[in-house]
Amino acid sequence: MKRYTLLMLSLILVIILAACGGNNVNTASEPKPATTNAKDNTPAAEATEDPITLKVIHWQNEGTNKFYEAFNKKFTERYPHITVDYTTVPSDATYDQLQQTRINANDTDLLAIKSGFASVPQDWSPGAQDPLWKQWIDAGLIADLSNEGFVDNYNPVDVENSTTYNGKVYGINLGKVSFTGLFYNKTIFEENGLAVPTTWDEFTKVVGDLKAKNIEPLAFAGKDVWPINLAVQGLQASIHDDQLAYIKGLWDGSTKWTDPVAIEVLDKAQWMMENAITGFMGVDYGSLPGLFASGKVAMIADGSWDAPAIASANPDLKFGYFPIPGSNNAADNKDLAGKYDMSWMVLEKAKNKDAALKWLAMHSETEHYTEFTNTSGFLPTQDNIPVDSEFIKELAPNLQNFKLAWDQLFINRQNVGEYAGGSSVHAEFLAPAGPLATPLELAEKSQTDWDAAK
Amino acid sequence: MYPFGKGLSRHLPLLLLMLPLSLYLVFGIGPSLATVFFSFTNATGLPGVEWQFIGLDNYEKFFFSSDSSDRIDAAGRTVYFALAVVIIQNAVALFMAVIINRKLRGDVFYRATFFLPVVLGVTVTGLVWQMVMNPLGGPAQAVLNWFGTSSNFFGSYDVAFEMIIFVQIWMYMGYSLVIFLAGLQSIPKDMYEAGYIDGTNRWQSFRHITFPMIAPAMTVNLLLSIIGSLQTFDIIYVLTGGKFFTRTLALDVFGTAFNGTTADYGLSSATAMVQFVFVFVVTIIAVFYLRRREVEM
Repeated sequence: MKRYTLLMLSLILVIILAACGGNNVNTASEPKPATTNAKDNTPAAEATEDPITLKVIHWQNEGTNKFYEAFNKKFTERYPHITVDYTTVPSDATYDQLQQTRINANDTDLLAIKSGFASVPQDWSPGAQDPLWKQWIDAGLIADLSNEGFVDNYNPVDVENSTTYNGKVYGINLGKVSFTGLFYNKTIFEENGLAVPTTWDEFTKVVGDLKAKNIEPLAFAGKDVWPINLAVQGLQASIHDDQLAYIKGLWDGSTKWTDPVAIEVLDKAQWMMENAITGFMGVDYGSLPGLFASGKVAMIADGSWDAPAIASANPDLKFGYFPIPGSNNAADNKDLAGKYDMSWMVLEKAKNKDAALKWLAMHSETEHYTEFTNTSGFLPTQDNIPVDSEFIKELAPNLQNFKLAWDQLFINRQNVGEYAGGSSVHAEFLAPAGPLATPLELAEKSQTDWDAAK
Repeated sequence: MYPFGKGLSRHLPLLLLMLPLSLYLVFGIGPSLATVFFSFTNATGLPGVEWQFIGLDNYEKFFFSSDSSDRIDAAGRTVYFALAVVIIQNAVALFMAVIINRKLRGDVFYRATFFLPVVLGVTVTGLVWQMVMNPLGGPAQAVLNWFGTSSNFFGSYDVAFEMIIFVQIWMYMGYSLVIFLAGLQSIPKDMYEAGYIDGTNRWQSFRHITFPMIAPAMTVNLLLSIIGSLQTFDIIYVLTGGKFFTRTLALDVFGTAFNGTTADYGLSSATAMVQFVFVFVVTIIAVFYLRRREVEM
């Protein structure tokens, strides 16, 4: 009977282990004819019309999500055997987790990252942490697109600056965005005889005038914290003479978090928060366009990518965007800063790599790319794309000398504490948002955390 | 006499238990052991990336690296959270259970109402309270405004953590209440009658009859709330995402593994182990004390 018991136990364990390992066995060795694997990665797959499900992961953004839902339908019309499984989740840590788990499990064909390739450790930043995208490429998980014809559709300088690493192209960047400005309600400005401010003094006067008329001048999406730092980066872009030199200086000790220029940034950030709508720290990012579109505030700190969401929330709203004028020299405030935004990557070992490349190729066609840029509000990375968005056209003067914002230039030390962590200056710790009363307190805490992480 | 007969039937219960036991080993114990294993490595979880055993480096990093104070703060917050939740949740639940047990009219309705938040689930609960405590136009803000004040609620460094503790208690108080109620209803009426004859007042009756007799329910409730609160992740993630000084050890485990910029599974596993040891030690001490208390009573 003992033998029988042992036999049964063994059988059960074998069944369970077989069930657990089932996926690996299938993907590694069985050439499933219907949907998957090696077949699709070879030219021979072109001849077959086996049904394929192309997996695409992305974050939630109303405008671009709508575009992709429509685009995926067109893609399936062109390639009837390919259906697209388009998964979207909130753009916060939920997407980070989805991205990592899907890559680790090789369970997607295409994935979007939230920017171009930024924050690569440099000679002047010894010991800095490799960004995740670099770790993926170094691990051979991302497909090299250098020889794909559709890469040529894009401006070579933008390709070089956005998604090229070690001389190879590992992604397709779909456009630039600016986030160092403020959206403003044109109607409110016109009704109150206000002009777009070009210096800090003009800006404070505009805010003062609005408050005098009981109009809420400013709002931030403080509950998500990072939107506050968009405004801080606007101040940094206009106050620092050379942000990169300052960042390099932090590494070699020639500049400090407590330098007057850094204190000025924090000082002005604190002033903006003090003059923002009461309760702004409870406003989540998803609610911000609606709050602005409702006309309850005259200005909000947000990225240019949210223009479609604002227009969608109130199609009649007249709004514009101007660089945050941190300096009293108008010339320093003229240019918007930002980043290369969303980039698509194909997994090297994607089950449907060929279909993924077809999807990117079709997306890169002028017709679809034009539609995308006009939907998303991105500044195109393809040349000669007709922009029909009045909002983007109005930004043209501020985009002639487009520059990278702080978080695209900053490289952080490993194991740095929370007052200097991440890729931004943490003005959210300052009153009235946070517990620290003065910019100097925050700057000293940041410097302490930075020094401790040497 | 053995109740399952002879031959194959004799071993049937054992065989039937093998399946759930095996599943538990594979999906419960297995990942837990893997966490212990990974805590001694520099694994990132990326396929194809080599990893090495790095001894106690992750533990050293947890306790002694330049950002350790953030993690120690998170551990302190975890203790604060657990203490507040365990004490307040059980005190309120016991109080409510005693009231409902007095055969009030509509007691079933009250019981169902108090238990409802348990059924709602974390996401719905999070949404409900975010709406109630919306600083721009939410009802809680309106009430504060009557008194000439205001709050950012879940976006406030001053009160966000306390607000989460409140929501956690609101969410699970009904659960503790039902367990207490079951304990209360199992107390023989004779004891109260005997106490009444001996001249006990209400407080004495509660102190010397009710409280000792619900010791088993108290043990269950305290243990469940201690373990649950020390491991709480979901409601904090939904309400603040760990921002505004609300990060606890459980949030740290997640944040270290999935934060969009790094994927340090080794440190994350080490953090999980620290949390496990912490929960284990506290639970063992609690079990020892509560069992002894039950016997004494």
